[in-house]
Amino acid sequence: MLRAGPLALAAPAVAVLLVFFVAPLTAFAVYSLLTGAFYEVSGPLTLDNYREAVESPLHRTLARNSLLVGLFAAVASVVFALPIAYWLRYTRSRWRMVVMFLIIASFLASYLVRIYAWRTILGSNGLINSGLDQLGVIDDPLTFFLYNRFAVTVALVHIYLPYVVLVLYAGLAPLSPAYLEAAQDLGAGRWQRWRRVVLPVAAAPVASAFLFVFVLSAADYVTPQFLGGTSGGLLGVIIQQNMTAQGDYALGAAIAFSMLGAFLALYGVVALALRLTRLDRLRFVS
Amino acid sequence: MTGPGRSGLAGAFTVAGVVFLWGPLLVVVLFSLHSTAALSFPFRGFSLRWYEEIFSSAEVRSAAENSLIVATATAATTLVLGTLAAYGLTRTSSRARGPLALLFFLPITLPGLFIGTALLVAFARIEVTLSLATVAAAHLVYVFPFFFLIARAALDRLDPALEEAAADLGAGRWLVFRRVTLPQVWPVLVGAACLAFALSFDEFIITFFVIGPDSTLPMFIWSTLRRTIDPSINAISTLLLLFTLLLFVVTFALTSWSERRRRGSAEPLVVPALKDAP
Repeated sequence: MLRAGPLALAAPAVAVLLVFFVAPLTAFAVYSLLTGAFYEVSGPLTLDNYREAVESPLHRTLARNSLLVGLFAAVASVVFALPIAYWLRYTRSRWRMVVMFLIIASFLASYLVRIYAWRTILGSNGLINSGLDQLGVIDDPLTFFLYNRFAVTVALVHIYLPYVVLVLYAGLAPLSPAYLEAAQDLGAGRWQRWRRVVLPVAAAPVASAFLFVFVLSAADYVTPQFLGGTSGGLLGVIIQQNMTAQGDYALGAAIAFSMLGAFLALYGVVALALRLTRLDRLRFVS
Repeated sequence: MTGPGRSGLAGAFTVAGVVFLWGPLLVVVLFSLHSTAALSFPFRGFSLRWYEEIFSSAEVRSAAENSLIVATATAATTLVLGTLAAYGLTRTSSRARGPLALLFFLPITLPGLFIGTALLVAFARIEVTLSLATVAAAHLVYVFPFFFLIARAALDRLDPALEEAAADLGAGRWLVFRRVTLPQVWPVLVGAACLAFALSFDEFIITFFVIGPDSTLPMFIWSTLRRTIDPSINAISTLLLLFTLLLFVVTFALTSWSERRRRGSAEPLVVPALKDAP
């Protein structure tokens, strides 16, 4: 009798992912090469959607916004998260588990609630303005907080920071305090320990966290709708509109896959940079 | 003594981080108890009127019920499929192991927008009517990698000698799984299923594309946010926050309890799971 190996246990999951993940994405890719209108697509195969996806001035503006917001959000998250991850890894404070709990728990706080909270805080009638008004600091509300790229970036950092902290913390896990003590004993100051010991170890997780935040931020379509106003729109919004109100599935697909292409290119650049600096092959002797 | 961990600057960042993460959420909680509709200072006193409003709303109730149905279906399916997949992959030396692990991880790397739009197109193509079932299928794709990474990390770290010993003593494969493997990992699996539940319960980005005429709690919040500034959103948000927090406490407690039992450390399994991610 033929006995199926343990691998057969994975078959149901494989089937589900093929049906609900791989097949739809493949169909979506094919759609990007057809002509779309009124929620239907028709042949023949064409690259026109890609031409429009790349050449339209509106798409270019939104792509620039996506790039800027993605970069700012990713850099800010990593810079903010690195010291936090460092503290979580090496502190002997009894608050360590509490902070860990608070950070992981905030990861699960509702996405929409966070966006809503920032609108409440940054709005022209919001907490910052009404607070400053009460204190007599300002007479007219400050409007530069909301409905622009800044507001979108702040909310995105808020959404992804906990995840970045956890990734960096996991990345520092193999670097036991003994390494840092050894560096200290050998005369390395605080700055040198960071530059020569912590940062090389953190490089690969930093790169993966950076890409994660960049990709999710650049493709976000909800945050810019509520916080972005006219200057903070992102590419995700136009994809969503093509897939819903506009009904042009083909163009929506072409913009989405152009964006995916850009993401893959960025991924390639980051991976290459890690390889050239040999930071991708650090090994720990245990 | 000044050890390398004594960095005041890192501590300051940590405090700032916790304040930044929790401050805005606490603002929402505070204003859910505000006695007026104003979402600005000065604060005019406490009241439960917004909670009364949402508890008497049929729309909120049906949205919450739908969210519960979808999240339960998603978490239960993920628990079964994910456990099978993680067990299968950790107990084989087949060359298909690497590619399959990649497939199971892949949905995490893609923004929800792509998963949602691709599924929208696919469901339209094969003429499947959008409903809570299509939402649950989409959520399954979204939460599966999270569950799989945690389950695999837990199963990977078991001592294989125990399973081998049981098999040598004549236990069949199912008996080994049920009597040797499962008792060691069930807290982590249940914890990861709670995480799957919480992720599904709050999902909006993908849901938006595949839901059809029904509503879920995030869909309700979204449509309310678009229409007006309605202070009852604060109350819904607060309850949502408390609910996911509760789920998270269960996850955290189960995974760190099982870790402590295993090796005396209380690291929740989320951390090693992240480390194993490709």
